[in-house]
Amino acid sequence: MTSLLTVSNLVKKFGGLTATNDVSFTVEKGDSLALIGPNGAGKTTIFSQIMGEVRQTSGTIHLAGRDIGGMSTAARIRHGISRTYQVPRPFSDMTVLENIRVGLMPDNLTQMVFGRVDHDREEALALSVGLAPQDLHRSPSELSMGDLRKLEMARTMATNPNVMLLDEVFAGLTVGEIAQISELIQSMRREGMTFLIVSHDLKALEPLVDRAIAINQGQKIAEGSFSEVMDNEAVVASYLGG
Amino acid sequence: MNIRWYHLALWTAFIVGMFFLPQLVSKGTLRTIIFANYLAIFAISWDVLSGRTGYVSFGHPFLIGLGAYTTAILTKRFDVPVEISIPAAVLVTMVGGSLLFLPALRVRGSYFALVTLAFMELMYQLVQVIRPDLTGGTRGMSGIQTLTRGAVNGYYLSFGLIASLGFGMWLLMKTRLGTALSAIGMNEEAVRGSGLNTTKLKLAAFMLSAFVAGLGGAFYVHYLGSIAPRALFDINFVFTIIVAAILGGASTIIGPIFGAFFLTFLLEYLRPYLPGAERYFIYGGIALVLYMFEPKGLHHVLQMALSAIKGKSRS
Repeated sequence: MTSLLTVSNLVKKFGGLTATNDVSFTVEKGDSLALIGPNGAGKTTIFSQIMGEVRQTSGTIHLAGRDIGGMSTAARIRHGISRTYQVPRPFSDMTVLENIRVGLMPDNLTQMVFGRVDHDREEALALSVGLAPQDLHRSPSELSMGDLRKLEMARTMATNPNVMLLDEVFAGLTVGEIAQISELIQSMRREGMTFLIVSHDLKALEPLVDRAIAINQGQKIAEGSFSEVMDNEAVVASYLGG
Repeated sequence: MNIRWYHLALWTAFIVGMFFLPQLVSKGTLRTIIFANYLAIFAISWDVLSGRTGYVSFGHPFLIGLGAYTTAILTKRFDVPVEISIPAAVLVTMVGGSLLFLPALRVRGSYFALVTLAFMELMYQLVQVIRPDLTGGTRGMSGIQTLTRGAVNGYYLSFGLIASLGFGMWLLMKTRLGTALSAIGMNEEAVRGSGLNTTKLKLAAFMLSAFVAGLGGAFYVHYLGSIAPRALFDINFVFTIIVAAILGGASTIIGPIFGAFFLTFLLEYLRPYLPGAERYFIYGGIALVLYMFEPKGLHHVLQMALSAIKGKSRS
């Protein structure tokens, strides 16, 4: 059976710097994989290459058996892969619902103009990520960091992905908000969503993933169950700056 | 589409009010309103592109000029009837719009604005040196066929244009296309990250803007009966368009119409008191104060007033 997401021999060079050095991994359907490593290890660069925001120097990326490595970001999203960002990027002058509306839009000008707005689906998505009904008509500037992350999740889910890449989902959140987002990810896992998650909050990350891979200086240094990877000497050394 | 009954009521009031206006005001005032109408069309054209997507055009006269020159040359030099020359002018302007779009693939912000300014300058130089026998060179052209006679007919033509273009664009911007274009202005990467092809969306914005500018430019030149490159490809003309759009309220369509009327009448009514360039000092001052205290423009001031009235009537 083909894996849902297959990254093979990914290399990215920025001039003399090799940000990603021959990284390969697969994510099966319904799997949740952690991507860990110290600051500057190249985790976000891998995300950006999978999404096509940064083009790989060499290597391939397959989604459900289809080579997506040469596609535009928008095309990859339409093929079922989507991401959130370390810093949430809401549309500041729009309401929460309008933000989600952009995620739900068909990439077709005629349908955009003549199609109907699915208000029920917008609202259902917002509520499903745990946003309160009174927040739906608020602007993002009135939301807490936790709610901004939820909005970002809702807009990402609106694109109807099969795989979601979550980048530092817990950054800037309170303990209560971390619990809420964790519960949201868990419930989506139960429904069969596939995840690739980057986080520095290893304690919060552990219960959310089946496996982990560790990256340091652009290279994969360990792969296995979360505890195996965390006990790996090279991983410990990388976190200690070794 | 988020259209409320009072939106349609306001449009109806605007259209009915404008329809009966010639019965109420002098011919002189009508002529001023004609200019306001054309300025409003140009401001709407700017707003659809720059107000929405944040790709600020400093070169809108390039588009307006393409429309104006095309129909002027076709009718005056080749005796083409206006029924053909005006659609041709719109088409040529849309081709120009796609040229203006090319730099938007690579640059944005102030760099894009500078590139558009260069487009205008280039056009200004080109019409003077390339085939001046066609373009009229530095002196421009006069004796261009006019479509109407008298202020009243000229007024109705310009009113028909602004009413149909204004309402059409307003309606279009109320759809998800308008939302997507506004989203590009706020965060283009996030629009791409929502699975939308931003290149296609931006091209649509440029085409719509060029369509309005081309149509406005073509009808304007057939109203004036002449074309003067120095007045057309002038940075002050650019600023008047931009100030009208922003003063009224960018990204709203209705705002630029307000702004164009406000600006035209302000400059006109100041004329008896300040006949010289001092008028621009007053208009600059008003614009400055408004930007500082109400950057969303007159449209937002009126919106707040409207909701205050609604709030009062409820309590």
